[in-house]
Amino acid sequence: MQTPDFKGTHLFSRLCWAKENLEPVQSDYRAVYEDSIDECAKILVPDPNWMACALQGGILPPVWVYWELAKDEAQPDFKKHTRGYLLHETEPMPAMTEEEAIEYLIMKDIPQSVWQNWDEGNRPKMVICKKEQLPQTRTWRNAWRISDELNLAA
Amino acid sequence: MAGTIVADTLTHSTAGSITTNYVVDGSAKAWVNFNGSGTIAARDSLNVSGLVDDAISDYTVNLSNAMANSNFAITDSSCYDSDVGGGAATGATESLPTSTTSFALHSGRSTSGGEYDNEYVYATIFGDLA
Repeated sequence: MQTPDFKGTHLFSRLCWAKENLEPVQSDYRAVYEDSIDECAKILVPDPNWMACALQGGILPPVWVYWELAKDEAQPDFKKHTRGYLLHETEPMPAMTEEEAIEYLIMKDIPQSVWQNWDEGNRPKMVICKKEQLPQTRTWRNAWRISDELNLAA
Repeated sequence: MAGTIVADTLTHSTAGSITTNYVVDGSAKAWVNFNGSGTIAARDSLNVSGLVDDAISDYTVNLSNAMANSNFAITDSSCYDSDVGGGAATGATESLPTSTTSFALHSGRSTSGGEYDNEYVYATIFGDLA
C-alpha cells in the first residue's frame, strides 16, 4: 500500500492512518541495556504498530526531532512544548529495514548516555539480541545483567 | 488529507450540539494492551513506539507523538490471568508520567506486598498532544 503524502500532516493523524491500514509487525529484536549500576538490565521491545510504520516509510519523523524536543524539555523553565510542529512538519523518514528501525528506536527511547558509548568501560551497557536469546523464565528477573562473556560485533 | 471536514460544532437532530473541542480534547491520545509476563509484548496499541521491561512488574511505555507537557492523565489496570478475572489476583496498578514521551507503570503488587508480572496490563492516556 502506498503511503499518502503526509508531509505537514499531524503525526497523530498519520499514526491513526497506519493503524487502520497497516498490519502490525511483531519484531523478534530486543535491546537490552543497563542505565544504572544499581538496577537490573532493562529490555526495550518495539511496538508492532510502530514497527509497521517504520517499515512502511513516510510516517515517522526523523529521530533528531525527538532529541530537539527532549532538549526543550530539559530546560528548567519548561512548561509545555512550543516546537511540536517539528513532529508534524519535518519530512517523514523513508522506509526502514527492521534493523534500521531498531537503531532508530534505540536512539529515540534509550538514554543517550547508554547508546552513545555502549561499549566503553569495563563491560557493554547495551546489547541488541533476538527474543529467543533472553532467559525463558523470569526467575530472578530483578537480578538480570548483561553477560560479561558476550562476543560483541559492532 | 482527502476527506477532511472542518467543523467547530457537531449538532444532533434532537439531542443538541457540542463543539468539536470536546472530541479533540476528550479523546484518548494513546493506549496499549500488553502481556507483562514472560517476554513482554504489546497485543495492540495506538501512539506507542515501544515498551521497556524495567524489572518485575515495572514497565515504561514510550510514545510516538509527544504530549504537550508531562501533566497528562493515565488510567490503567491489570490482571494476572484472564481466567482469574480482572484484578482478582492483583493489587493496584500505579503509573506516573516520566516525560512528555513516556510514562512508567507498576503493576502486580499483591496485598501482602509481593511483586509479580501481570499477563494483562492496560493503560490509556488523556491530555494535549505536542
